[in-house]
Amino acid sequence: MSQVILFNLLNGLIVGAFYALMALGLSLILNLSGVINFAHGGFLALGAYFAYSLAPITGFWIALVIAPLGAAIIGVAVERVLIRRLYGRDPLYSLLMTFGLAFIFQDGLKFIWGAQSVPYQIPSWLASPLSMDLFFLTGYRIFMIAVVAIAVGGLFLILGYTRLGIRIRAGTLDLDTVSVLGVNVRVLRSLNFGLGIYLAGLAGVLAAGMLGLAPTIGDQLIMPSFVAIIVGGLGSLPGTLVGGLLIGVVSGITSVYFSEATEAVIYVMMALILMVRPHGLFGDEGRLQ
Amino acid sequence: MTPLKVDGLHTYYGKSHILQDVKIEVGEGELVALLGRNGAGKTTTLRSIVGLTPARSGSVTIFDRVTTDWPSYRIAALGVGYVPEGRRIFPNLTVEENLQVPLERPGPWTIQRVYDLFPRLKERRSNKGRQLSGGEQEMLAVGRALLLNPTLLLLDEPSQGLAPLIVRHMFEVIASMRKEGMSILLVEQNVRAAVAIADRVYVLDDGKVAYEGPAAEFAQDEERMRSLAGASSEAWEDFS
Repeated sequence: MSQVILFNLLNGLIVGAFYALMALGLSLILNLSGVINFAHGGFLALGAYFAYSLAPITGFWIALVIAPLGAAIIGVAVERVLIRRLYGRDPLYSLLMTFGLAFIFQDGLKFIWGAQSVPYQIPSWLASPLSMDLFFLTGYRIFMIAVVAIAVGGLFLILGYTRLGIRIRAGTLDLDTVSVLGVNVRVLRSLNFGLGIYLAGLAGVLAAGMLGLAPTIGDQLIMPSFVAIIVGGLGSLPGTLVGGLLIGVVSGITSVYFSEATEAVIYVMMALILMVRPHGLFGDEGRLQ
Repeated sequence: MTPLKVDGLHTYYGKSHILQDVKIEVGEGELVALLGRNGAGKTTTLRSIVGLTPARSGSVTIFDRVTTDWPSYRIAALGVGYVPEGRRIFPNLTVEENLQVPLERPGPWTIQRVYDLFPRLKERRSNKGRQLSGGEQEMLAVGRALLLNPTLLLLDEPSQGLAPLIVRHMFEVIASMRKEGMSILLVEQNVRAAVAIADRVYVLDDGKVAYEGPAAEFAQDEERMRSLAGASSEAWEDFS
């Protein structure tokens, strides 16, 4: 029994780590540009497929780093050509735009790589279990958590200690004043968008190694990622991280005792948290208008 | 090169016509005070100059470039420092981080030099913006603008809500910036203090320029000072 709980706890943590990576990217973009990016799952899938095509040529490790970068470059292009025009307008416009983009992504991926699910090869030493007792504890699962931890740590280092990160945080609250201080806020928003998409692409590559690869790979992750943002508190990135891990673990444990409620529990938890803390766990009142 | 030339400026907020044919000039090394009652359009004038509330018609020329429709960051990159109304400190960043936001234009100003000018900021370097007093926020807003190494400096009511001693310090700093060769446009409610350090004065009334002249001449005209610059002209007594 304890093995089952441990297994689902670990599973929940991994799923939560994916939610967190997705949600952190979504949060970055929402906080600085006010855009709710429904196409985020499409970018996740794009990163995964880039890795799928790259890995046979470059090997697993280079693909892991480069494929998300490819997704980020496409992301910046999409931001510059399409999304930028909608800044400062009614959020409905960008909502519709990214919603449409999500469909375009999905069909585009089907067109290029096919609608069927394809396997994504990970190095065999990563795929084998670490011990017989803990059969589910494969190297790849540990590896995924480690990569997510490095990525999140890197993100917080960038935001905390580089001028780019400091300017992103400043712009989250008052972009006009950042602009008046001579910072090119168009470039700032593009880089920030790219950073968010890089995290999505990375989540895609990691998820492909666990789940296999289909054009819809991002679909089951996007709604819980929004929940993670709301649970953590709009505007707070540490909150988003905690929110993602929390809902992953809670739904993982729920699957042991009441597996039918595995998905519903996320929303029940959100409702309960919002009843107690209307701005989420780490949210400041009125930080985001 | 004239640092700032504003000509025939008309600016709206929605349908309200705020600025009506405003014409202002700041010459090289000049300190110009922009005065007027609350709601006369002083802040809007500055916001139109820096591109936050672009003018609907008329022109803004900064160092011989027509910047009327430029985004704010391009205008700032020309060397235009701006201390906004209410200071607009980033409350979620530390003092040190606030000072790392501005574009790094080459020039004499560094974070260290800002700390030398305002030692209080150095003591508070790891405090968040939201934890600062009004005076400290003002120092930070001025320091932040200086880090852009501006040649034209726009200040919106630097004395607002500050204790007299800190106001005096601020005005000394502003006067010393002019000595360093900066051209300055100073918006103030504190009329006597502003007139005392300014070369020339503009008075805005209801979105129009109602008076323009040398500060020394304006200082003589007690009646005009009272009637155009508003009741707050009496609030200042002991500045010399």
